[in-house]
Amino acid sequence: MPPHPSLPIHPGQWARPLLHWWVGWWQIVHFGAQVAVLALAPSSYRRTQRALLVRSMYLATWPLLPGFTVLAALIALVIIRIVLATSLSYGLTRYALDVLVRTLVLELIPLSAALFVAVRYSLRAGEEIRAMRLQGKFETQLASGLDPTRDAVLPRALAGMFAVITLATVSGAVTLLLAYVSLYGFSTWGLEAFTRTVGQVFGPTIVLIFALKTAFLSLGVSIIPMVPLPHEGKGAAAQASADLALLARLLAVILLIEVGSLVGNYY
Amino acid sequence: MDPQPETAPPVAHLDLKARLLVLCVLLLIAASVTYVLYARGAFERKQTLVLVAENSEGVVVGMDLTFAGFAIGRVNRIELSDEGNARIVVDVPSKDAHWLRESSIFTMEKGLVGATHIRAFSGILTDPPLPDGAVRKVLSGDASTEIPRLVASARDLVVNLTALTAADAPLANSLRNVQTATERLNGPRGALGMALGNDADANKIVSALDRTNTLLARLDRLVVKADGLAAKADTQVFGASGVMSETRATVVQLNGLLADARNSLRRADALLQEAQGIASNTREATTDLGALRAEVEASLRKVEHLVNEVNRKWPFARDTEIKLP
Repeated sequence: MPPHPSLPIHPGQWARPLLHWWVGWWQIVHFGAQVAVLALAPSSYRRTQRALLVRSMYLATWPLLPGFTVLAALIALVIIRIVLATSLSYGLTRYALDVLVRTLVLELIPLSAALFVAVRYSLRAGEEIRAMRLQGKFETQLASGLDPTRDAVLPRALAGMFAVITLATVSGAVTLLLAYVSLYGFSTWGLEAFTRTVGQVFGPTIVLIFALKTAFLSLGVSIIPMVPLPHEGKGAAAQASADLALLARLLAVILLIEVGSLVGNYY
Repeated sequence: MDPQPETAPPVAHLDLKARLLVLCVLLLIAASVTYVLYARGAFERKQTLVLVAENSEGVVVGMDLTFAGFAIGRVNRIELSDEGNARIVVDVPSKDAHWLRESSIFTMEKGLVGATHIRAFSGILTDPPLPDGAVRKVLSGDASTEIPRLVASARDLVVNLTALTAADAPLANSLRNVQTATERLNGPRGALGMALGNDADANKIVSALDRTNTLLARLDRLVVKADGLAAKADTQVFGASGVMSETRATVVQLNGLLADARNSLRRADALLQEAQGIASNTREATTDLGALRAEVEASLRKVEHLVNEVNRKWPFARDTEIKLP
């Protein structure tokens, strides 16, 4: 009988990528659970800790707020004009506001706010945490009785979450204002109809999904960049590969949350 | 521990700004939530209206009830009744409830494009207002239900058209006949050839027409002769010594005769009047004769009585007859 032509497979070789995939996700979940426990613990909000948290929130949010608001307003204005012109040409202006609120306020703005905060703040904060780990500051703090997760990670995570929520809220309000002005001009006669339409869009289910989506997006972009990597400190190539894997996981989480919200809203 | 890198410049009044930012964001979130609650009608006094429909297809929670194009209510709940109907529970704000009256009619329209619309129509705004919790039947009009009927009609139409336009269809045969007729119409015999179908009959018609023309020419000559006869008859009848003038003279004579007859009758009338006088005199004489007769009869009775007396006294004579003078 001739020998089998296929390459020999070592036992456990096929399971290694799967194991790496699972370990990577488990680290994210485990680290997220640690941060969530700390975020819910009253000891994390002592007087000194509160001041640190508030400062972190300000420093994470304020530098991003004007730029993102202007950018979001410009993009929203373009989309509003496109939707209005299209609906006008098809005689469907009564649905224009509905489409705008759903498209911009519910979907695009939270997503873009999360991505903006991830790029401009969270990835940098993750680098700082990683640098602290590599420099051994975590061990030093633990040895001196301090909790580096509570003192270094939690403020950055909460600051990132706050930044996402703030950017989304402010840009959403600005977009609603722009939509009203584009539809009715600088007058108040359309306020009632506008409010009624907005109320129709923001049903209880939609509001719940919107709130959960924003919360999970902010949580994802704030925590995932700070998750400890398995290859930290094992060379530049391994570091780059781990960074890419982290970024891919961040995008996958954002995509998953977005798809989940769309399914919840429209199915 | 400062989470920011050491190269970041220090921020003046960082704590104050940070607290202000957090406060503003919290206020903005609270205002957004309040606005959404207000937009959902959470702070309005409402009354309930229950619309009963055969089915709730196209109706969603949150859709509007409109009156004259303005939203005056919002669907709050949709439920299935014990009778198998859809109960659409509509919340109507108290400030808009006055548009709904006892006589209001509610319709549910489903268009081919766009959402279903629930509309209210109040014809008599002086009717009593609709009470809270009123239950009304909704009239539904569904454009999409017409589509199957329309498709069936269109299919019948297409089948009929196919049958009409088939190669062996009566219409095609008719058109072929029309084409043949047109060709014959354009042929040498024209419409006559088309009407008769063959040249022999057409020739007969042509010869008949020729003979008719000959006949008409003879008729013309006859008419000329008849005109001459008529002129002569006119002279005979209406001429100076014609029948008419003699007839007129006869009539004059007849008038004279009639006048004479009238005079004779007048004289006869006078004679009759005289005869009537004579008759009246005779009647009077007859009356006098009656009186005379009565007297004679009285005298006769007296004579008879006298004879009877003589006879009684003179028994010899048996002849009782009395001879009158």
